[in-house]
Parts: sequence; structure tokens; C-alpha cells
Amino acid sequence: MELRNKAINLIRKNLFCIIILAPAVLYLLGFLLIILFKVTALALTHVSPEGALFPTAFHFIQLSKNPEFRAALVRTVWFTMIGTPLELIIGMVAAFLVAEAFKGRGIVRSLFILPLAIPTIVTAIILYIMFDFPGGHINDILMGRHAFFPFRVISYPVDWRGSGFFALMVSIFGKVWRDMPISMLIILSGLQAISKDQYEAAKTMGANAWQTFFAITLPLLTPAMSTVLVLRSIEVWKEFIFPFILAGSYPLLATLIERAYHEWRNPNEACAIALILLALIIVSTILIFHSLKWLRMRLVRI
Amino acid sequence: MKQKGRTKINAGRLIWFIGMVLMILMVLAPIFVMFKYSISDRASVVTGGMPIPLWPYHPTTEQFRGLAAMDAFVKSALTSMEAALLAVIVSLAIGTPAAYALVRYRFPGMMVLATLLISVRLFPDIVSVVPIVETFTKVNLLNSVWGVGLAHSLLSMPYVIFIAMGVFETIPKDLDEQAQILGASKLYSFVRIILPVALPGLAAAAIYVFLLSWDEFIFAYFLLAFGNLSTLPVLLQKILSWTPQHNLLAAVSVMLSIPVIIFTFIVQKYMQAGATAGAVK
Repeated sequence: MELRNKAINLIRKNLFCIIILAPAVLYLLGFLLIILFKVTALALTHVSPEGALFPTAFHFIQLSKNPEFRAALVRTVWFTMIGTPLELIIGMVAAFLVAEAFKGRGIVRSLFILPLAIPTIVTAIILYIMFDFPGGHINDILMGRHAFFPFRVISYPVDWRGSGFFALMVSIFGKVWRDMPISMLIILSGLQAISKDQYEAAKTMGANAWQTFFAITLPLLTPAMSTVLVLRSIEVWKEFIFPFILAGSYPLLATLIERAYHEWRNPNEACAIALILLALIIVSTILIFHSLKWLRMRLVRI
Repeated sequence: MKQKGRTKINAGRLIWFIGMVLMILMVLAPIFVMFKYSISDRASVVTGGMPIPLWPYHPTTEQFRGLAAMDAFVKSALTSMEAALLAVIVSLAIGTPAAYALVRYRFPGMMVLATLLISVRLFPDIVSVVPIVETFTKVNLLNSVWGVGLAHSLLSMPYVIFIAMGVFETIPKDLDEQAQILGASKLYSFVRIILPVALPGLAAAAIYVFLLSWDEFIFAYFLLAFGNLSTLPVLLQKILSWTPQHNLLAAVSVMLSIPVIIFTFIVQKYMQAGATAGAVK
């Protein structure tokens, strides 16, 4: 009885807090639960003329036999394995370029933020236009048809969207281009967190630029780098827009979900693919996180 | 000795300079191509085997004039705006009070809850899109602005909570305490004293949500793919599948990008906070 009164008192005292907090919690977590429940339920249900079957691994077994799914899985894995490190490298290059003070640094920094202001779908459309076949800008330039670059790198125009490798490489280019500012900003904030004293100390001890870079900058930058890797790898795994526009005939898992849903008209199979993608993302995130932690323990000795 | 040192520094500077030029070119090239195509006349796009000129033969604004007269474009722009405003209203109305509670009431577990709410944004959108569309179909939210707006509010809520928490943290706790000592209720002090102070920061959050919804393609596409309603990103994809007419595509792209470019530079500080939310520890 007393416990109940205490509980009622606690609620009454913090009623305002509960009232203003509850809608957001219910809205976000409620939808999250609905999504998780629905995606699992659909993936485990098989609807046939004889009726619905639940739970069943039917769709997963079907998928494992489906060559299109297997190809998409393989593509997604290498897409991620190339895309994620590239995101980090380009972000680091941009960050190091603007890290030190120079004339016009503010303008260059704003310029480097610009890709963030171009909608993803627009970036994909521009790449679609630039990498057109046979007469796009990239083909023209590589064939040396412009006066400012008279080198004939290729003799025939490349059908960028007609080959799985090129189509996905162009998609990776788009993804890296569009995300560069985010990686750059994280790395920059990591760079700013390194105290100037360490560089001073290194300088007085006679270290050259390379030694300073490898002994101070890089090890102390590992937290920011691992943040970029973890966050970007999630983004690259689930990338949809670029491969959807630029690599229509070579689906990744994300674009295969769309195909299963719209073309095969099979929401259950789409959800099964979605669950597989989700599992891959979770496993890879944990894996990356822990291996980076291990690596950092090895690298940084304080 | 001195000579050697100088050449070394110059080599470093040279590499830096080349890298800088390449990076700037890389960043600007696609944007330049977009603007160039949007003002291209037909002869500079369909060249009949000649290389496409780097600057149109006869720059023209005919594409933009065409867009103003194109029903589908005007309607999609309005739809985009409606959906974005809906997303702003819903996510701010629900997210802002929650952020205030998360900052002001430090119960044990409150930070865990905040982290949980903010990290919902890491949930892959492509995974949630099929269940959301299936659910929305049942409650008649398919092919409607309301469905798109609600879906976008769901995507943007974690960002709103994150940005608003940052804003409320900068407001001293004394302010609400003094108001309450003077007899204001908690609700009154929140609505009449804290919110006005927080308004500039919350405006940035509103702009952020607006842009997020304005840009968003995946949910809008799945919710509107087979109806006659589209937002601008969906219209862009539809034009691509009807007639890949490059200068028209570029003109729509420019119209879609301009508000984003302008607002991004206005709220640059908050955009960065949103983009790197939860990243900097």
C-alpha cells in the first residue's frame, strides 16, 4: 500500500516530464517495434493458394537457391569493402587539406561542404548524365576529344551502366562524393582534439613531419577514424539510391528489396532480404567496432 | 643544408597544392555539369556524335520556363512542400518537448533513453521501408501527402531531439527555476520562457527537417511509386524512366538543389551537428 502511494507520488511529481516525454518515446519506439515485428512476421510467412504458413523459413531457403540473390549478396559485400575505406580515405584527404590555416581556408571549407547540399537523387542523376553512353562527358574526356586533355585513354566509349563493375564503381564514386563532407567533419573535429603541446614536444625533440604524423597524428586520430568507418559502413551496406539509378541491372541487396517488392510482387521475400541485410549490418558493425578497438589498443601506448 | 630544407618544404607545399586543386575540381565538376546542362539548348545536348561542349553553344533559360508551365512539376513542388511542412510540424511538436525533458530531468537511465532515441536514425531505411509501406497501405496512407509527411517525421525525429537537446543545454537551468519561484507552472515556464529563448536553435532544427524531407527519396518513392502524386525527387526518377532528356533532368535537379544549397549555408553549424550527430565523443 505504501509502495503504491510512493509510486503514485513519484508519478504525480514528475507528471510534466512524463507527459512531454511520452509522445516521442511512444512514436519512435512504437514505430520501431511495429517495423521489427512486421518485417519478421512477413519474412517468416509464406502465402500460397492453400493458405498462409507461419512460421516458415521458406523464403530464406528460396533465396539461398536464387542465383540473383547470391549475385546481389556478393556484389554488396565487395561494394561495401571498397566503398567504406574509400569514404574514410577521401574524408581524411579533405580534412588534412583544410586542417592548417591558409588564405581562403573558410571558402575552401564551405566549398568542401557543398556535396552535403546536393540531394542524393540529384547527385545520382548528374552521374547518370556524366557517365552516359556513348556520348557522356566522361567518355568524351577519356577519349581525348577535348582540347584541354588531348590524351586518348580509351579508344571506344565505355558503356558504364552496361557493366556490373563500372556501374557499381560509379555508384561508389557518387556515394563517396556525396558523403565526403561528413567524413571530413568528423576527422577535422578529431584533428582539433589533438593538443598542440604534443606537436610542440615532438618539434623540440627534433621529429620531422613524417615522424610526427605517424607517431602522433595517426594514433590519436584513430577514434575519429573508427567512428567514420563504423558509421559509413552502415551507410554503404544499405546504399539504395545510387545503385538504383546507376546500376539498375546489377542489384545490390538494397535494390533487390525494391525489385522483390515491385517487380516480383513478393513483400514476404522483400522482408526476408531486408532481414538478411539487417543481420549483415549488425554483424559487420560489431566486427568493425571490436577489431578497431583491438587495433587501437595495439597502436596507442600511453 | 638550408637549400635542402627549403626544397623539401616546397615539395610538401606542391603536393598539398595539387591535392587541393584536384579536390576542388572533383567537388565542383558534378555541380558545374548540372548547371551547364540546365541552361543548355537542344543542340548542345544532342550533338550527333560531336563531343558535348563544356559550355552550351547558346545558353538558354527555356528549360526553366518550361518547368514553370509544366503541371507535373508545379504539383510535385507543392506536394514536396506540403510533405516537408507536415514533417516539420509533427517532428518538432513531438520532439522538442521530449528533448526538453531529456535535458532537464536527470533520472537514472535518462541518458540511455536519449541515446536510444537518437540512434534510431541508424536503423537502415531500406529495411524499414517495406513494413512501413505495408502498414500505411492498411490505413490508407499510400499515395497521400500525409503518409510521406509522417514517414519523414519519423526519419527526422531523432535529429530534432539531438539538435533541440543541444539548444536546451545552452539555456541555464536558473531561468526555469526563477520562473517557477515567481509562481509560473512548469508548462507556462516551458512555453512562455524557455521556448522563445530556444527559438533560433529550433528554427535551425526545423530547416534541417524541411531539407531532410525535401531531399528524401526512398520512402517517398515506395509510398508514391504507382500513384499520380509525386514529390520532386520522385518526379525526377519518373522523368528519368519516361524520357532521359538530359537538360530537363538537370533543370529539375537545379530547382531541387537550390533551396538546399541556400539553407545549408544559413544553418551550416547545425547541419554539421546533425550530419555528425552522435559521432563526436
